[in-house]
Amino acid sequence: MHLARLELTNVRTFPRLDLALAPGAHLVIGANASGKSNLLEAIALLATTRSGRAGGDVDLVSWQALAEEPVPAARLAAQVETAQGRTELEIAVIAGGAADRGIEPTRASRRFRVNGVARRASDLIGRLRVVLFAAEDLRIVEGPPGLRRRYLDITLAQLDPTYVRAAQRYARVLQQRNGLLRLLAARRGKPDELDFWDDELASAGAVLIAARAAALRYLARDAAERYAELASPVEALTICYRPALPDELRAAIGEHDLAPRMRSALEAGRRTDIDRGLTRIGPHRDDIAFAIDGRDAGTFASRGQQRTIALALRLAEVTLSTSRTGDAPVLLLDDILSEIDAERRRRVLEAAYGVDQVILTTPDADRPTPGELPQARRYRLADGKFAPA
Amino acid sequence: MNTQGRPAADSPIARLVEAFHRLPGIGPKSAQRLAYHVLRAPQQEAQELADALLEVKRSVVLCARCQDLTTESPCRICGDASRERTVICVVEEPLDVRAIERTGGFRGLYHVLHGVISPADGVGPEDLKIQELLARLRDVDTGVTEVIVATNPNLEGEATSMYLGRLLRPLGITVTRLARGLPAGADLEYADDVTLGRALEFRQEVR
Repeated sequence: MHLARLELTNVRTFPRLDLALAPGAHLVIGANASGKSNLLEAIALLATTRSGRAGGDVDLVSWQALAEEPVPAARLAAQVETAQGRTELEIAVIAGGAADRGIEPTRASRRFRVNGVARRASDLIGRLRVVLFAAEDLRIVEGPPGLRRRYLDITLAQLDPTYVRAAQRYARVLQQRNGLLRLLAARRGKPDELDFWDDELASAGAVLIAARAAALRYLARDAAERYAELASPVEALTICYRPALPDELRAAIGEHDLAPRMRSALEAGRRTDIDRGLTRIGPHRDDIAFAIDGRDAGTFASRGQQRTIALALRLAEVTLSTSRTGDAPVLLLDDILSEIDAERRRRVLEAAYGVDQVILTTPDADRPTPGELPQARRYRLADGKFAPA
Repeated sequence: MNTQGRPAADSPIARLVEAFHRLPGIGPKSAQRLAYHVLRAPQQEAQELADALLEVKRSVVLCARCQDLTTESPCRICGDASRERTVICVVEEPLDVRAIERTGGFRGLYHVLHGVISPADGVGPEDLKIQELLARLRDVDTGVTEVIVATNPNLEGEATSMYLGRLLRPLGITVTRLARGLPAGADLEYADDVTLGRALEFRQEVR
């Protein structure tokens, strides 16, 4: 698949951008703070509906629009081309509202359209698939577990619409179950009121766990191969799914009866859950363990090793996405080539030539060199405007 | 922020602004606009608003049977001898009664829960009009054979319908749930996946 057109209005540093894109490589050269990352973030947002950065939706709206327009709104639109045809995606982020005039808006609402028809976010996800490589990726290895779950959610949501729905349902049921646990701790209601929520939590949770386990089996194998190619000296990367389940249930992953067994485990743990006021098992507490030669990479690996693990993981994600859907995703490389050596650049660019389209950003016109990316179209980005370079 | 020109916190204007601000969907700016509108309006208009507010609180009560809002208890529907007394439709809010009445397709009785089970908001079964429903089935409408649960088709609505099913089935009452599927006049192409999936799951034989 490839992105045939991208339109941005009032998105961060872009007052107005209308970019027609062909398949192939596109190199965007721009100084720091010229908006290179904002460009790739906008494309990723159209694919995943999630913004890669901290800050609320309202921050997506350009400050000029916030300052000057009565109803400040950012609009992102894309045309995606696949073998099956063309799809139009649109996300509108509307800040505050007329009632907030004169006050800095702090909230924003979003509207989604697919081919011009209003849809839910979950219907938009996956129509454009991207793999975004960014410097922050090493946080997946050394950051808190929440970032690893977020990585899994964003990756899997693009591949499987049932995953998106299960994740949304799970989050809502979990909130209700924890609410009921607190009510029960305050001695209101009967524990069997948990029955409905435990049923729902187990069935949505089993979908998430099964999908994560299957994806991680694939990613672990593929990323280990990639890591062996990228790392010198030769070291072994192992990636291991750590589901937040009792040991006897971990063996049931991949079996058809995971949901009823998780349901029983939730029921058996009710007493303690009520005392603690939280649900102790389930995919909301999952983690992934990365290890190099058997040693935990989050703690013991160097920054360089962590960066290489993240790179191997992203490369594995490209093959996962391609093998699951039969169609390669769009690659977005956010200034990751300037900080790795020539040999690793060659490996990454090799992957880039296996997909229909890759969009790269760099602050330095010589990295990658024209020789490394011979057919790339080159652009220079300054003041929110594109010019051929 | 600019605090110049604001009425003192205990002034009558501030109290009115505060009162409007407590209403659902009214932010601080709207509350101010409403309050200053009342200030500028003729005495007559303010009087009518105040009277209407007090009148609604004085005369509208909950029907002792169905818990719907009414000016007489039992309400018109509960008191209507021509309605079927073997089936009760359970709804979340009084507005839902009006919606089902508009269909003209239901001739039974109603019961209004005034909410839905939502533990995250601190709402459990004991905060709804469920004890009233049980008492009614036991003492007043003893001939009821079916309860139709017409809560919204979302998670909290499902939780509530399941709770009612468990509670009422041992009493020998059939508990049913509104069907879910495509809206009338819909276009398959534009239906969202969840709705279409449900419509497939709950398909019906063509007769």
